[in-house]
Amino acid sequence: MTVSYEHRVLFKHEGPLDMEVLPQIVRQFERLLADGGARPPVRRRILNTLIELTQNIIHYGVKDDQFPPYIGLSREGQHITLTTRNLVYYSQELFLHSYLQNLLQMSKEELEALHHSTLTTGSYSDSGGANLGFVQIISKADDFSYEISSANQNYSWFTVKVSFVI
Amino acid sequence: MSDLSVSDNLIIEPTFTTPAIRFEPEKRTFSISGNSYPENSLKFYSPILQWLENFVLRHTPDAHPINVEVRMEYFNTSTAKVLLDLFRLFESLYEKGQPVIVRWIYNKEDTEMEDAGLDYQAAVKMSFELVPIDEEES
Repeated sequence: MTVSYEHRVLFKHEGPLDMEVLPQIVRQFERLLADGGARPPVRRRILNTLIELTQNIIHYGVKDDQFPPYIGLSREGQHITLTTRNLVYYSQELFLHSYLQNLLQMSKEELEALHHSTLTTGSYSDSGGANLGFVQIISKADDFSYEISSANQNYSWFTVKVSFVI
Repeated sequence: MSDLSVSDNLIIEPTFTTPAIRFEPEKRTFSISGNSYPENSLKFYSPILQWLENFVLRHTPDAHPINVEVRMEYFNTSTAKVLLDLFRLFESLYEKGQPVIVRWIYNKEDTEMEDAGLDYQAAVKMSFELVPIDEEES
């Protein structure tokens, strides 16, 4: 885990992720964003996004010591970008593509309506999730993109970039 | 936790990923505060929901309001859903004739938390107050 104030990369972590590591990263992000002058609502959006993406990796990502997950935070002018990358099974690719493409085609209003209906009438997943993570992330982000690329015969890399204007 | 009576308090100390829970029926105060992003929100909150269901079932309504204070820091989307389940349990008390006042306390500069509070306010029928505070003064 490294933290730098001089470079465009503010933070990067490449290694195992679990619920012991996540609070440490949250604390570092809080400090970096406060020092960087991010307003409270923007800090909240970034921290909430970090928590959702990291918990997705903890719950659904492939755990392989040779291919550890990555979390990065970078700044360019008034834009802060949070990047995560983790392994997924080939079998998860199709679901991720179709699910995210569907969300990305929605307007902010449609995403907010989906968020509201899932919050008020949806059910919990087996891991206790609310199926709201990406809905919230995409509706709150100033820019969202993802990429799925081959890692080896069994796995793919799933990379998510979420940007915010601070 | 299942053998608690309704007059018992439910007190859970906070961690960095779970909130402080202070449900004190005798004082008429029920508060939740802090971070909430446990690995499995449903697992963490199930005993709390169960305790509150038990309280709702056994509580006889009276004129003294029940005060619910919620002051969250960072919380994940599954917690957002559990909070609504908690509010609905308090709402069932209200529907039994018990005055219930919920206060959603947040940093006045944090419009995201204000919006979250407005969503909950629109989803319930009981008194749900948004309470912006100046965190530097509190």
